[in-house]
Amino acid sequence: MFFRKKIKFNKNINKKQQDDKQIPKPLFSNLEKNLDILRELYKECSDVVFRSFLIAGHTKAQLIYIKGLSNVEEMDNNVLTPLMKKSEKRTVNPKTLIEQTLSVAEVVKISSFEACIEQLSVGNPILLLEGDEQGFALGLAKWERRAIEEPTGELVVRGPREGFTEALEVNTSLLRRKIRSPQLKLKTLKLGRYTQTAIALAYIEDLADETLIEEINQRLKRIDIDGILESGYIEELIQDNPYTPFPQVLISERPDTAVSSLLEGRVVIIVDGTPFVMIAPTTFFSLFQSGEDYYHHFLISTATRWLRYLFCFISLLLPSLYVAVITYHQEMVPTTLLLTMVDSREVVPFPALVEALLMEITFEGLREAGLRLPKQVGAAVSIVGALVIGQAAVDAGLVSDHMVMVVAITGIASFTIPRYNLAIPIRLLRFPIMLLAGTFGLVGVMIGLLAIMTHLSTLRSFGVPYLSPVAPMKGRDMKDALMRAPLWKLNTRPHLTGEYNKHRQGSNQKPHSDKGGE
Amino acid sequence: MRRAIMIGVIFMAFVLLTGCWDRRETNDLAIITGVALDKNKEGQIELTAEIHSPGGSGNGSGGGEDNNQGGVQSTVLQIGKGSSIPEAIENLNEKLPREILWSHAEAIVISKAFAENGISDELDFFVRHPEPRLRSYVFISDGKAKEIMALRPSLERSVSEALIKLAESEVLMKATLFDLMEMLKGEQGAIVLPMIDKLSPEEGQLPSESIAYIHRSAVLKQGKMIGVINDQISRGVLWFRNEINESIVTVEPDEADEIISMNLIKGRTDLVPEIDGQSLKMTVKIVTIDDVIQNQTSWDLKRLDKLKALENELVQKIEKCLTDTLDTVQKEMKIDIIGFGEEFRRHHPKKWKKIKGDWDEKFPTVQVDFDIDARVLRAGKGSET
Repeated sequence: MFFRKKIKFNKNINKKQQDDKQIPKPLFSNLEKNLDILRELYKECSDVVFRSFLIAGHTKAQLIYIKGLSNVEEMDNNVLTPLMKKSEKRTVNPKTLIEQTLSVAEVVKISSFEACIEQLSVGNPILLLEGDEQGFALGLAKWERRAIEEPTGELVVRGPREGFTEALEVNTSLLRRKIRSPQLKLKTLKLGRYTQTAIALAYIEDLADETLIEEINQRLKRIDIDGILESGYIEELIQDNPYTPFPQVLISERPDTAVSSLLEGRVVIIVDGTPFVMIAPTTFFSLFQSGEDYYHHFLISTATRWLRYLFCFISLLLPSLYVAVITYHQEMVPTTLLLTMVDSREVVPFPALVEALLMEITFEGLREAGLRLPKQVGAAVSIVGALVIGQAAVDAGLVSDHMVMVVAITGIASFTIPRYNLAIPIRLLRFPIMLLAGTFGLVGVMIGLLAIMTHLSTLRSFGVPYLSPVAPMKGRDMKDALMRAPLWKLNTRPHLTGEYNKHRQGSNQKPHSDKGGE
Repeated sequence: MRRAIMIGVIFMAFVLLTGCWDRRETNDLAIITGVALDKNKEGQIELTAEIHSPGGSGNGSGGGEDNNQGGVQSTVLQIGKGSSIPEAIENLNEKLPREILWSHAEAIVISKAFAENGISDELDFFVRHPEPRLRSYVFISDGKAKEIMALRPSLERSVSEALIKLAESEVLMKATLFDLMEMLKGEQGAIVLPMIDKLSPEEGQLPSESIAYIHRSAVLKQGKMIGVINDQISRGVLWFRNEINESIVTVEPDEADEIISMNLIKGRTDLVPEIDGQSLKMTVKIVTIDDVIQNQTSWDLKRLDKLKALENELVQKIEKCLTDTLDTVQKEMKIDIIGFGEEFRRHHPKKWKKIKGDWDEKFPTVQVDFDIDARVLRAGKGSET
């Protein structure tokens, strides 16, 4: 009952807001009337500039723009100067004058107040004329934006050093610069009641599944919130399983990663105001891939991938295995190792589980502290960190030498996962497994692992099974999951996203001396 | 959501209600690294446990017959007494403040007196209890087993470790608990175990600073020790059982009055049994490859005839070793520790059933032929003087 009431109440509020916002739709031919309405809309907005002038000395006109969003210099030179030039002929039509003298590339005719507001908000100045129901939006938007820089979250040794920025246009242009084909499509929509954030849906026609695009479009349109500040807002509102800690979209700052996903038939969702684009659908194994894998030799990349898988397991399980073995299964440790473990644990007052939790939580805290720290005090944390997770902790009799080793290896291991949003759930799940290991031993570790495996196999990302191509098994796609096959072997796109355009390249491209060209 | 909370509550109950009842922190464990079994005059079993002392600060702790001469030691000894091994362990448990962990007891030393009374019934504990490993090595000590345990080896951290390494070096006999069980179950119940001797301390050395070494082998029949064989015979037994891995053969050719020593690289033995009516025959086929490691003679081993002569000498030497072994084992002890019975069973399972009953009488009558193929692979560099 209570919930139902609350929902009703919310609905009322929504209606009220919509009523308040009602504005007349079409522009009037009376300039003054239009201006009154616009002034009323933008009252107490000190950044909105209304500039009235006479076109060719006779027709009243008004230029409206928002300070800091429009290029004032170009407005002066290309709009005001030519239009205000007095003409000898009184009879000249202001509209033809605009067409003839306005040296602005992008001029959009607008005829409603809604369009006015929309154009103003993105920075395009609006030109309204006396006696005309049509206005003009001039494409002179220009605001301060960050230059294209190397993405700091996804560093590569070899590969392009450009990263997405906060501006949507820049980001789409980065994609367009890599995919020159007109088949790269960009659907744009605006989300957020107040922020009206632009969202672009990029895909390659005839390559991405149309039902997938339709599905993503539907999910995006369902979103009705006040503001979207980052792609994370959208991610949480469109993912298949909202409770899982595992990421169901791939987040990247790198145009090359985005493009390679587009070429696999995936969809890239770009949100204005953030350099992080979302790639969907994604699978568990694609989160272990780094763009750089494809730029290095395939043997090296395959080895690196296996290293990541190994360290993922270490990151998830090592503290738990240590706790389980040292408290329940002492017979499994080689005698010499056990004896040194026992020696160093002798002075530790806590059970191994408490010891492990203590150190792991401290380590997580240390990392969190280091993450948010102003650069000036960073050195202090690393000094303290070395003391906390180090010999000092052992000397203080709080932890054993081996525990320090375990925590250090685990810490390193969690950094080898190339996607930060996958590293987080693995770090998080380490703790319940540690509790299980402390209570049930290795049986508990297995229970935890099985639970995670079961959970992972139930997940889907936009309809694609999360564990594909391993479960469901697709042998053809293994070449890019368990290994990184040489490029001349990667002839087909991933089955579940690229089935509509299966072959990505000509077959039999293995370089060989018989093929000529020498 | 409610379901998720329910699952969470149930899960927490699982975790919290069980309360780690099997938990054994290492701080509460007495890790036994080696065991010595003795019988005292009253016929009681004395079980001496070598316990790892965490942090090496075991001085004085544990009490009992704790031999701690010479600085920091990593193990302490504790003795439990009782009429059977479990009773002795119970007695040991009473004396120890910690729970006993048997999983790492990898050396079991049994005294000669104990072994002469039979070990199969008593060792049942080590086989039946889930903790002790079947891979632990079993030794027989000449004197009291606990005296061996009281030694302080200078190279290794504890006696057990030294003993394990001695066994693993495979110079002479080695036997794990598992091997022992297999041998006990075997057709004859004939067992060979390494025998530990204590080197008499050199001048100025404390008795505990002496070392234990394996020089002989103990022969057991039906779990009871019946005799001892020396290192040469032990090596012969290893040849018969195809277990030879390390051997240095020194020959003294008649023509040359000095010696040539050779190191065994590879030795392989095949036993081929034949049953011809009532007479049993065994052909011992040996293929061996050796390297020359020392040549004191004037022979130039680069010459083929000398090499052939050397190979001949080697064959004779091995054959002599094997014949000596046979004399001792087959003729004197009359115990089949060289695995003849097993070979007969494998090759002639039906006929074996008939001779199985009186194998003890038949075994000394088995006629043995040798077919030895010895090759010297590398004569080595060195002058031909």
